[in-house]
Amino acid sequence: MMLVLWMFAGLGWMPLQDTVSLSEIEVSAPSWEHFASGQKVISFEKRELNDYSARSLADLLQEKSPVFVRQYGSGMLASPSFRGTSAGHTAIFWNGIPLNSPSLGQSDLSLMPIQAIDQVQLQFGSSGALMGNEAIGGSVHLKTNPSFEKGLKANFSQTAGSYGLFHSGTSVHFSSQKLSIQSRFYRQFSANKFRYRDLSLPGTPEKFQENAQVEQMGWVQNLSWVIGEKDLIKASFWWNQADRQIQPVMGSRTRDQQEDQSFRAVWDYTHFWNNSSANLKLGWVQDELNFNGIDNQTSQFFLIPEWNFDFWDNWEFKVGGRATFAKGELSTYSAKDNRLETYQSALWRPKEVLSLSLNLRQLAFEDLWKPFLPSLGVDWIFWKKEKEQWMLKSSMAKGFKVPTLNDRFWEPGGNPDLLPEESLSGELGLHWTKRGFFNLEQSLTYFRMKVDNWIIWMPMGAVWSPQNIRKVTNQGLEYEGKLDWSSGPLDWQVQLGYSLTQALDLTTDSNRPQQLPYTPRHQTNTALKAELGSIAWDFSGTWVGQRSIGTGDSRKMDPFHIWNTGISCSALKWGKVQFPIRFQILNLFNADYQVLYLRAMPGRTYQFNLSIHL
Amino acid sequence: MKYIFKNQLWALVLVLFAFSCQDGSEKPLGKYETGVLILNEGNFGTNDGEVYHYNPSLRALTGEVFEFENSRPFAGLLEDLVLEEGRLYLVANTGKIEIVNPDNFKSIGAVTGNLDQPRSLATASGKLFVSDYGPYDANYQTPDSYVAVISGLDGGAVKTKIEVSDKPEDLFVSGKNVFVACASGKVEVIDADSETLIKTISIPGKPTQFLEYGGKLWVYSYQSTQVSFHAIDLGSLQAGEVKSRALPKATSRIALGDGGQVYVVTSSGWPNYEDAVAMISLENEQINAAWKKGTGFYGIGYDRERQEVYLANAKGFQGNGEVVIYQKDGTQLLSMEVGRGPSGFLFR
Repeated sequence: MMLVLWMFAGLGWMPLQDTVSLSEIEVSAPSWEHFASGQKVISFEKRELNDYSARSLADLLQEKSPVFVRQYGSGMLASPSFRGTSAGHTAIFWNGIPLNSPSLGQSDLSLMPIQAIDQVQLQFGSSGALMGNEAIGGSVHLKTNPSFEKGLKANFSQTAGSYGLFHSGTSVHFSSQKLSIQSRFYRQFSANKFRYRDLSLPGTPEKFQENAQVEQMGWVQNLSWVIGEKDLIKASFWWNQADRQIQPVMGSRTRDQQEDQSFRAVWDYTHFWNNSSANLKLGWVQDELNFNGIDNQTSQFFLIPEWNFDFWDNWEFKVGGRATFAKGELSTYSAKDNRLETYQSALWRPKEVLSLSLNLRQLAFEDLWKPFLPSLGVDWIFWKKEKEQWMLKSSMAKGFKVPTLNDRFWEPGGNPDLLPEESLSGELGLHWTKRGFFNLEQSLTYFRMKVDNWIIWMPMGAVWSPQNIRKVTNQGLEYEGKLDWSSGPLDWQVQLGYSLTQALDLTTDSNRPQQLPYTPRHQTNTALKAELGSIAWDFSGTWVGQRSIGTGDSRKMDPFHIWNTGISCSALKWGKVQFPIRFQILNLFNADYQVLYLRAMPGRTYQFNLSIHL
Repeated sequence: MKYIFKNQLWALVLVLFAFSCQDGSEKPLGKYETGVLILNEGNFGTNDGEVYHYNPSLRALTGEVFEFENSRPFAGLLEDLVLEEGRLYLVANTGKIEIVNPDNFKSIGAVTGNLDQPRSLATASGKLFVSDYGPYDANYQTPDSYVAVISGLDGGAVKTKIEVSDKPEDLFVSGKNVFVACASGKVEVIDADSETLIKTISIPGKPTQFLEYGGKLWVYSYQSTQVSFHAIDLGSLQAGEVKSRALPKATSRIALGDGGQVYVVTSSGWPNYEDAVAMISLENEQINAAWKKGTGFYGIGYDRERQEVYLANAKGFQGNGEVVIYQKDGTQLLSMEVGRGPSGFLFR
């Protein structure tokens, strides 16, 4: 048995699919990327994630993608903004089940340590038909990938760093021809006592950050089992617990404390035929949040049947459904929410160089069938030679977001009459790949989006209440480029990324619309990497442009530029035991910066990592 | 004491200063010595409170005055502006008081420690008296409210805390007596010299602000269906005459106009959220419950010199707020975008 993941290294805009070879027959169960023609997708594989093993998903997205991450401090709440949309406009999946809290409608990226996952994929733009609820700005897909026939493996990883950082991780993996079992445990701790300049005090003295300690631990259990000739069972469980002091904004001396605990489980059964496969996915997500002693708990159950088939040449289809049963026991209310979705996808490949996909989804919630969501995309390789190709990608899609439980039921203020937020987006991308002495991959994408009925919580006297008031038009450009070459014994790699995001709020003043708060127009990522055998050195930077802290002509925050560097050696051995090491310096030039207004961020940070592979 | 009498006090200081100039030399006016200071509270969790300056003669607005003059953000939620003893006190309910030169806004001192949720400030006997809600308890109540005493007028450490009734707001000083309006239904009197509580006066409703009118001190109090003004005898420290008016949904936001007219912001609150400015008279029974109607009203002020009403709108705290200026007859003169959460004015 062989399980192969085809992926597009680096920028990842090629389709990816799980391919299982059972006996003499090779069958495949296409995953969502298969039907995402015309949409921009970025994929990060395990090798790239290794450099972030002691860090969070928030750091990865900020430093390696066009996504802007709104961080309330080091290790504090971090939420993604895809193409100028809000955190609630990003769907987040783990092994195919949605993770966003039904009460908050978003996830905290700081509570998603890279240690817990094997693969991260980012999909950009509205994609309600393919992803369902909340995929307005984009979606994040986290996966744990099984491997087979590796025997017994064990890894231990320890990172120590500035400000009392101490991260530990252990994994044990056993795999045979038909069975793969993996257990992972991690604990991440940081006292977060970094020095910062307190702008709220006369003389702006340097102080040590207080009340920002973070402790997080978790357990991930994966099982993959090939039964007989044509059946595959996968099951995963992820427990994550975090105990955080909430870093106060400068000028405040709050001593808030937050505990988060999440249980996530997915059971996945697939049966393969010659030209089709049926999959049944059962999921459970339970989130507990305790803020200053006040408990909030939500749970979600998912039932997701899906059938993929390709009975006719050049055509592939997927039909499926998702039933969601959500329940919230919040501090001010209790509520249930049931949703039903059906979806169909079709992929047509009339030629090797051309593929078109059509996706349709119908949602039912609160006893109403709404909304209907289509999407259409095309990938066309219009120029192809042996070592070079040019591809055009284009898509149009609708997206939506059902109001969260808090939006509808919070007491006081919840608004049961809210409408779903809706979006319409389109994009056009050009991709150039060239092989030779210099290997080159470049992409340029133009996007345009309209978001309507955007929900904002507004003060209604002493009570805050959500309203469908905001209208936004977004457009922009995203560029990603990667260049690699070899020079003698050295392998070099350069990566560049730039995004221009115009997200105009038509609500405040439609005649003179202003950029949405905390949405930088410009953002760049740069990286240089050199490898000499098993020794690698990297140097990377992230520049985030000016952003306002409110609507209208609100105060503007200065751009910031953060540089990181690291050196690693992967070939250190003692007998059969490998112990790769890595040393990195974050914020190399000790920049004094804030991502959000008056939220201090740490200066120069040193981290040393030692792993032991048995 | 909120804005209403401090400008008069300042005018007195100016008059005294003018008469004290024996040589006839003229001092150039400071940048912020005249005009209107607009208090922008800021957004909870963002601490972006600030002061804007408006010059009515030139119709010129200057934003973020504190940061511009001091090269650092105010970094707090601005609750009150108090002009006393030649100093301008910026009271932040996030736990600090910044003290600036009122003419040029340059920092001259601060109180940065041992405060919780300051609401207002007054000077007496060469000391600062700061009303403070105190810390929240586990149920988000504030049972440990106090008035903090700071020995110097230029700030420094909190010397002592005098326990008072829940939710102390406005302060008024008469001689060595410091009157504290507590929204829990009390006016308390502190002896500024001994720094002790000497008297507690019960007032129905939520007494929040002092007014001086007709040669008397009044405390404004509001309830669900009416507002009332209670005269406080400065000698006997007793509550006396009461003027009550039927006015539902009144808030603590008021401004004293000419001839005993009081402008009161009302709000229906959740869920309809209909705001209005009511105009009531202290001289007679006249009430205009809807002199102005709208949503988002968050502060009000009256410019005696120009006889204009300034009405602040927080615009949902999503970004900058708005100030609309009306003539006394209700005619709108202009509107302008100001900082986040505009909530009050200091007319100079």
